[in-house]
Amino acid sequence: MEKKNKMGLLAKQKAAGWLFLVLASAMIIVMSFYPMVQALITSFKTGSSANMQWASPLIYNYKRMFQDKMFMKSVGNTFLYLIVQVPIMLILAILLAQLLNNKDLKFRGLFRTFIFLPCAVSLVSYALIFRTIFATQGLINIILTNLGIINEGINWLGTTSTARIVIIIALIWRWTGYNMVFYLAGLQNIEYSVYEAAKIDGANGWKTFWYVTVPLLRPVIIMTFIMSINGTLQLFDESVNLTNGGPANTTITMSHYIYNNSFGQGVANFGYASAMSFFVFILVAILAIINLKVGDTRD
Amino acid sequence: MKRKALSIFLASAMSLSMLAGCGSAADNGSAPADTTASEPAATETAATETAAASADVASEGEHELSVYAWDKNFNIPALEAAEKAYQTVDPDFKLNIVEQSASSDVENAITLAASSGDYSQLPDIVLFQDHYIQNYVTNYPDAWMDLEDAGIDWSDFGAEKLSYSTVNGKHYGAPVDNGTSVFAYRTDILEECGYTIDDVTGITWDRWLEIGRDVKAKTGKYLVSMDHNGDDLPYMMMQAEGKSQWKDGVPYFVGNEDLKAILNVIITGAKDGVIYLCNDWSEYTDTSIIGDQVAGVFNGNWIIPTMEQVAENSGKWAITTAPTLSGKEGYAANGGSSLYITGNCSKPELAKAFLAYTFGGGEGAIATYDDALRNGGVITCCISASKSAVYQEGVDFFNGQAIYTDIVAMGANVPVVEQNDYHYTARTQIQAAITNVINGADLDAELQQAEDQVKFEMGL
Repeated sequence: MEKKNKMGLLAKQKAAGWLFLVLASAMIIVMSFYPMVQALITSFKTGSSANMQWASPLIYNYKRMFQDKMFMKSVGNTFLYLIVQVPIMLILAILLAQLLNNKDLKFRGLFRTFIFLPCAVSLVSYALIFRTIFATQGLINIILTNLGIINEGINWLGTTSTARIVIIIALIWRWTGYNMVFYLAGLQNIEYSVYEAAKIDGANGWKTFWYVTVPLLRPVIIMTFIMSINGTLQLFDESVNLTNGGPANTTITMSHYIYNNSFGQGVANFGYASAMSFFVFILVAILAIINLKVGDTRD
Repeated sequence: MKRKALSIFLASAMSLSMLAGCGSAADNGSAPADTTASEPAATETAATETAAASADVASEGEHELSVYAWDKNFNIPALEAAEKAYQTVDPDFKLNIVEQSASSDVENAITLAASSGDYSQLPDIVLFQDHYIQNYVTNYPDAWMDLEDAGIDWSDFGAEKLSYSTVNGKHYGAPVDNGTSVFAYRTDILEECGYTIDDVTGITWDRWLEIGRDVKAKTGKYLVSMDHNGDDLPYMMMQAEGKSQWKDGVPYFVGNEDLKAILNVIITGAKDGVIYLCNDWSEYTDTSIIGDQVAGVFNGNWIIPTMEQVAENSGKWAITTAPTLSGKEGYAANGGSSLYITGNCSKPELAKAFLAYTFGGGEGAIATYDDALRNGGVITCCISASKSAVYQEGVDFFNGQAIYTDIVAMGANVPVVEQNDYHYTARTQIQAAITNVINGADLDAELQQAEDQVKFEMGL
């Protein structure tokens, strides 16, 4: 009798658990998975969005993107940001985290807040601020001219190389603090006794960092890597608001081009845009898998 | 240890996905949701914006109409003027003007409504950009109602303006603001360099470049500037020639000698410091025009309010036509919009009567446009409405020149050139070609590449 009652309670609890799960799962399915499936279906269609037809052949949109020089250019631009910006940002973040983890440092909290603060700025506003700072008559040019370093204002956003550099600087400014917080959390998690042991073994600062901190931070490093790759591949706000893809489309990112194909240019091509989105999805998946495999230390 | 690290991983991944929900595209949101991600975002804005409008449509009385417009300093005063004018005919009439943040919001609202097949969120009337309407009527025919039986006298409008809102021979839109381009010069600067306004009227672009170099050398000012992120110079200059970058519906860049000659003018001008190509719109308006770096402005007349923000230059400006390759006077148009009745309009009779009375010519149009000109600087493209006394007044900022009459007269001369749904695609590619040639690329190769890309995007 007593046992039966207990089972009843357990079953009740289980039922409640399932109820919570069902609600959350239903939300995810409706809000996230259903649109994904719809996007996949859309990616096999062409035509105006009011009257979409199955493409012939079905993979027409997928074939099309590889012949699209603009899209390939945007892929190239995105990978350039990825290869240059992500390593710089993560190395900076880990060094800053290491510095700010020093227990003897004064005003630690203040410094941490300062470095994290850019993350609290909205993507659009920070992009617009960078655009203003780097305008031909902007702050940077005024400072450089007044210091006598340059004679005439540099057209930062009107030249391909400098426009790309500005975007990378902006990205580093915005995201370094964000990644630093993850490393700080990881560092707190390393037992102090490990460092003591290293000290006893005679390891200097650099060796401790390289042979103790980095290996123990590995899971966090992999996570930030995946996140940064994912974030950079979907880079949108900076391309739209900072340079609007210019000059001559040399800073446009994949997401920006996808957006242009669905809304930006007044020619809605949702089928093609969806197909390109799946290309980005596959890229992210492949890179994440490689990352996980490389980072997996289990034998 | 491992479990702790794993829990950090999971916890941070969770918080991250929560952050991703806060609308940052660079965050971790799943990739395929990309287009769809922008879609709900846009739906959201459209939904919040239309929330008021749709409520209005539902609760609207028999004498009420709702309309979307986007500029409270320009086209919204024009619609308010129209409301007031129509109240003389129908005292109970009420126009609910729903302000949008930009013209693209209206375009996206139509795209979304048509894509979902649910037009119920649309207002009765929308103000729509001229260059986009052809594409939207072609792609979403159910979203519109034509104005064939509205009783508007179409001969009262310039042919060029009507060519946008006429699709397959049917009139869809009531033209509102006049997009006629003006070439404005600072007469004091010209004088300082030994020229008059007549010296820059009816000249060739080569002569214009010469004057520009002279002005630059003597005063350091550019003779014209343009937002090179949405560069309308090639289009306006081609139109002034009466030529198009399109031929029988396909891009005509390669072998188009006029286009090549015009691009060469722009490239030479940019290299010689005669033309200031700005990186974005705010640099164009704030730095080059309001920042007083130019001795001339060439754009649709809607740029005049921007020029007027520099009060100390009042009385120093004058308006004339554009130079051309041959030296005849060039007439062009850029921008401009028209009013369209949507497929969701439940009172088409009222909407048509309203548009015909207020924007279709006659006394209603005169009443509307007199107020629209005073309050918003909106210039009519309805020829009869420009006969009113307000239009004959001289404008102090332009040294007493009766610019409104002049602009309407110029508008009647704008040649009709072939248009295409892919106008902005072409613009993007042509401006990329200009940038590349300035940086040392070969013009022919760039034009070939631009043409290929436009053809590709058109699916040709």
